[in-house]
Amino acid sequence: MTQAAIPNLAPALAEVFLAVAAMALLMIGVFANAQKAFGRTQVFAALTLVIAAVLVISGAGGARVETFGGLFVSDNFSVFMKVLVVLGALGSLALAGPYLREHKIARFEFPVLMVLSVLGMFIMISSNNLMSLYVGLELQSLALYVLAAINRDRNRSTEAGLKYFVLGALSSGMMLYGISLIYGFSGTMDFDILAGFVAGHAPALGLVVGMVFVITGLAFKVSAVPFHMWTPDVYEGAPTPVTAFFAAAPKAAAMALFVRVMMGAFGDTVDSWQQIIIFISIASMLVGAFIALVQTNIKRLMAYSSIGHIGYALVGLAAGTTAGVEAVALYIAIYVTMTLGTFAAILAMRRDGGQLEEIGDLAGLSKTNLPLAVAIATLMFSLAGIPLLFGFLGKYYVFLAAWQSGLVELVVIGLVTSVVSCYYYLRIVKVMFFDEPDGALEPIQGAGVRAVLSISALVNSPLSYFLLLAPLAGASAWAAQSFL
Amino acid sequence: MDTLIKLIVFLPLLGFLTVGLFGRPLGNGFSQVWTSGLVSISAILSWVVFWDVGFAHNTYGVHVLSWVSSGDLSFNWAFQVDTLTAVMLVVVNSVSALVHWYSMGYMADDPSKPRFFGYLSLFTFAMLMLVTSDNLVQMFFGWEGVGLASYLLIGYYYHKPSANAAAIKAFVVNRVGDFGFALGIYACFLLMGSVEFSTIFADAANYKDAQFHFLGGDYHALTVICVLLFVGAMGKSAQLGLHTWLPDAMEGPTPVSALIHAATMVTAGVFLVARFSPVFEFAPDALALVTIVGAATAIFAASVGLVQNDIKRVIAYSTCSQLGYMFFALGVSAYGAAIFHLFTHAFFKALLFLGAGTVIHVMHHEQDMRKMGGVRHVAPYTFFMMTIGTLALTGFPFMAGFYSKDIIIEAAYASHAYGSGFAYLMGVLAALFTSFYSWRLVFMTFLGESRAPAEVMKHPHGANGFFWMPLTLLAIGAVVAGVLTHGLFTGEERFEFWRGAVWTTQGDVLDEAHHVHGLAKWAPTVMMVLGFLLAYYMYIVNKAVPQQLAKTWDGLYAFLLNKWYFDELYNFLFVKPAFAIGRFLWRRGDEQTIDGLGPNGVSSAVAFVAARVRKVQTGYLYHYAFVMIIGLAAAVTWLMTSGGGH
Amino acid sequence: MTLDAAGLVSFSFYLFAAITVASGLLVITARNPVHSVLWLILAFFSSAGLFVLLGAEFLAMLLVIVYVGAVAVLFLFVVMMLDIDFVRLREGFQQYLPFGLIIAGILVGELITLGGVWQAVGDVSANLADKAPDATEVDNTAALGQLIYTQYIFIFQTAGMVLLVAMIGAIVLTLRSRPGVKKQNIGRQNARRPDEAFRLVDVESGQGVDPSAFRQTGDRE
Repeated sequence: MTQAAIPNLAPALAEVFLAVAAMALLMIGVFANAQKAFGRTQVFAALTLVIAAVLVISGAGGARVETFGGLFVSDNFSVFMKVLVVLGALGSLALAGPYLREHKIARFEFPVLMVLSVLGMFIMISSNNLMSLYVGLELQSLALYVLAAINRDRNRSTEAGLKYFVLGALSSGMMLYGISLIYGFSGTMDFDILAGFVAGHAPALGLVVGMVFVITGLAFKVSAVPFHMWTPDVYEGAPTPVTAFFAAAPKAAAMALFVRVMMGAFGDTVDSWQQIIIFISIASMLVGAFIALVQTNIKRLMAYSSIGHIGYALVGLAAGTTAGVEAVALYIAIYVTMTLGTFAAILAMRRDGGQLEEIGDLAGLSKTNLPLAVAIATLMFSLAGIPLLFGFLGKYYVFLAAWQSGLVELVVIGLVTSVVSCYYYLRIVKVMFFDEPDGALEPIQGAGVRAVLSISALVNSPLSYFLLLAPLAGASAWAAQSFL
Repeated sequence: MDTLIKLIVFLPLLGFLTVGLFGRPLGNGFSQVWTSGLVSISAILSWVVFWDVGFAHNTYGVHVLSWVSSGDLSFNWAFQVDTLTAVMLVVVNSVSALVHWYSMGYMADDPSKPRFFGYLSLFTFAMLMLVTSDNLVQMFFGWEGVGLASYLLIGYYYHKPSANAAAIKAFVVNRVGDFGFALGIYACFLLMGSVEFSTIFADAANYKDAQFHFLGGDYHALTVICVLLFVGAMGKSAQLGLHTWLPDAMEGPTPVSALIHAATMVTAGVFLVARFSPVFEFAPDALALVTIVGAATAIFAASVGLVQNDIKRVIAYSTCSQLGYMFFALGVSAYGAAIFHLFTHAFFKALLFLGAGTVIHVMHHEQDMRKMGGVRHVAPYTFFMMTIGTLALTGFPFMAGFYSKDIIIEAAYASHAYGSGFAYLMGVLAALFTSFYSWRLVFMTFLGESRAPAEVMKHPHGANGFFWMPLTLLAIGAVVAGVLTHGLFTGEERFEFWRGAVWTTQGDVLDEAHHVHGLAKWAPTVMMVLGFLLAYYMYIVNKAVPQQLAKTWDGLYAFLLNKWYFDELYNFLFVKPAFAIGRFLWRRGDEQTIDGLGPNGVSSAVAFVAARVRKVQTGYLYHYAFVMIIGLAAAVTWLMTSGGGH
Repeated sequence: MTLDAAGLVSFSFYLFAAITVASGLLVITARNPVHSVLWLILAFFSSAGLFVLLGAEFLAMLLVIVYVGAVAVLFLFVVMMLDIDFVRLREGFQQYLPFGLIIAGILVGELITLGGVWQAVGDVSANLADKAPDATEVDNTAALGQLIYTQYIFIFQTAGMVLLVAMIGAIVLTLRSRPGVKKQNIGRQNARRPDEAFRLVDVESGQGVDPSAFRQTGDRE
């Protein structure tokens, strides 16, 4: 019997910390006074996430490091994406308090599950093997299923959780089947070996089909068409802070995983997957642009909006180049800031002690609460991709990358759908500024909501376009170096 | 002096901007006095400049800003002040200042005075831009500016549909002319590579044989340019064909009619042709066109004026007719005479309009002369002023019109240019008509029994100093302007005076005009007396004659009363087809085709598809799962059939 | 006809495989949900048989003990306890059947094609990760343990976290602390002292006693 060496834990320090901290948090929650449990775990969870981010960043800068026998990898790209995930999680955690308390679901498990799902996302982002990919994915998904259904006394919430769970299980099944095909046709699940294998051989049909199955699972997680059907129902049904979390962090993680599998493991066989990515990208952009036109519930609208945005991000992936990866990273970063701000705004839509979700409820907001209206308008303009706002920058980068790869049709369709989607973003602006108010909204509750809303509105304002453009573009370029 | 010129041009702009932007907070009183004061300062400064340019023989070129410098095309915002400009400055600013003051009285009851005075000042500024310009583009800017101000002022009573219609008509008809003007500018640039007057006039002689090749034909380039510019002038100056807007423009407030539609804006066309006299001299065909159009307008408008009953319309047609005089003077190369007439006409026509305005004001906004009569009893001073104006207009000896009109008719007689004979005959005949309708106006309005409601005659609106002062000043001008300046404009001193600002040479047509003798020379005066006697007979002695004549010659009467059916003709030829085409393009072209297939079609198609696709979003789990499986199967099938793998 | 060892293995494989597939089909087609679960148990058993054929006795036992012994029986209870209207669930089954069959047929056809080309793939043994310890030296369970706790410790730990999440999730979604349920707090019970439990009151005649004055602090829960 051979003595196995202790694996190098340094590259995975953040993950180890998160796992331990999650269990500690659980203990804090269980043994704390029932009234204080949520507040404490929330604060400690936030602290945990911050420390995890610090650990991630402090480990950055070095070359690509593998550990756990090649199951786990840490590189620039993983650092960038993990920071994004932490930002998304922190933002939605900050939003959660007032809403959960009001709906009597401020349970201490909420922050714990969030931390655990962030752990899953970290593992996804750093996975270098189809097995670690799968367990990471399952870890984050399982936590998300529970979060979606956490308002268990409300039918819509449980329905959302159940739908997400069943469809998630189906997609996991497809993915596993794909993984088994890949293993069967290549003899390995390791991304590096796979990359070398497909580079050396023309990829076998079975390998490619397996890859398609894996793409299916990943597309489900990023909610790309036609694997998007769960998104509107789950977004609408889940408690709003959970929806905010869904829209921000898991999207970033799943997109990172998508990039890692496509560019890392199958990077040398771009031709065989490019068409599929182009197809789901176009379909996502179209669905995101057109179906959203007829939505009246703002959470559903944001669901379709997120589908559309994933379509744009996939445009960058479809380029299949380092520039494309850079564009995806940038796009997702911008998307996270926009979406968090928008959900903060949705949480700010309160009247008569209740939460509002219809677009019509925003009517005349400019007359009753101008700062909020301006913040929402900024976010909408940014989501629509109006120049001089961040949203434009993201689209510009992905389209540029696709253009350089010669995907002219994709760019054209992207532009057309951008124009169409302008309609519903600007409709919200129109409703806020030109319709007659039904009545004033309540003042915004919770410092977290205020903070997230104002920070994301500021980040998306033209001002920071000039201040943050260079650092953000620099960071995404740095992240994309992992796929040179 | 440069600063002075800039002040002259920009003071009215300052007035406009102040009351235009802050009129409401500044108040009515301030708005009136501020704009009137600024324009008055401009007027006084204009006389200073006129003195300096006309008698001290200076010429100024004031550079303000560079405007365009693009490839071969470059020009500036710059003012060129020579004698022609100085004359126009005096005319524009003096009349404008007097009209501003007059308006304080006339518009006393109006609720939105800042707007009115703002428009007046805007007009004045645009007109000054036009006359001081040293290039075609800046001139075009002023040209359009006065068009805009004219539109705004005609439609000043925007609650009256007729005023809106008149404003639109004026604007649209002027568009036709402006199109010609714009083409003329392009042609100029095409031929000479410049839009600056100094270059164009210096080079004109070099291009006298140049040809434009267009649609397989060759055309004399300078003629083309001149004709195009003249089309522009026809629009602005309401020459036959493009005259229809001017009578309708009387819908505007009367001071506006005096300022824009008598004294200044309508003379812009005359100014343009006079300005381009160095070019027109190389285009005899264009000059012949100018002569014939001018003469035809003179006789046409005078004939229509004979039978009109609206006091302002009579004067409007009179204006039209006098503009015709100016144009055929230009056509026979008597540019000095034309500008001279422009100068004197400004005084007496403004006087007549303001006098008519006073009458209208006194008569409680009644404009129909058939409901007047005996107004001299309630407005004796106005009667006196109007008589002076009429004398000047009809060419009573030693009044302003006597000098300017006679020299024009003499020039037409003396000229050998094509069309000059026709112009002479028409000019003399029009003088008869002018005399007749002018006196008819005076007799119908001021003399005889009152036909107005007794209530009106008992309580006439008072007329105060704001009315008398401008009238008096204009009357003085109408009396002395001819005596004092005919030597400068058309006499022996004219070479010294113009110094090339308009084309003048030794032994030109004006020289010959001074040598016309006998009946030819006295014909206009004879006609004037004849017209007076006729009018006296028909409207004082035997009042039944007009009705009898109208009955006997009912066809002719209707023809004249309906202004030669020009409006009806245009309505039939242009307006109705244009509406029909517009309606077709709107209903079929835009709504059904472009909107139908374009925005509306796309949006309804989008809504349709979105609603359909939305139905897929049933909420049933197995549907969602099924869609996922289909997606997967499609992807795998696509890969396997397209040979993505091996 | 006698069967040699290899032939027996082949025969067993096909037998188990056929039973697995057939019982899998019956799971989804059986009208009675209880029958479905029973068919599922059969499928698990035959899968366990396949594992045995592969030499993975540990997995086979795991399958029987965990899946058959625990999961499937639990399923059985759940299915029997829940009153699921399966007839209603099957509504639309006929309607979607043809299209579903087409899709399924296409997928199956494609997968069979894949099976056909599997042999054509070259030698992939170079790609294989570290081989499992030789089955002749260590037994199956020990070999599994050696790999799981060394090379795949990361996966193993993460799977543990997944289970933790599952546990938390189950508690979050189902545990209810109902108000008004009397619960025994033994610690509190033992710590109770007489002066908390008794109070002497002078009752004036004809006045009675205000019951609220007798609310005990300990009665709150």
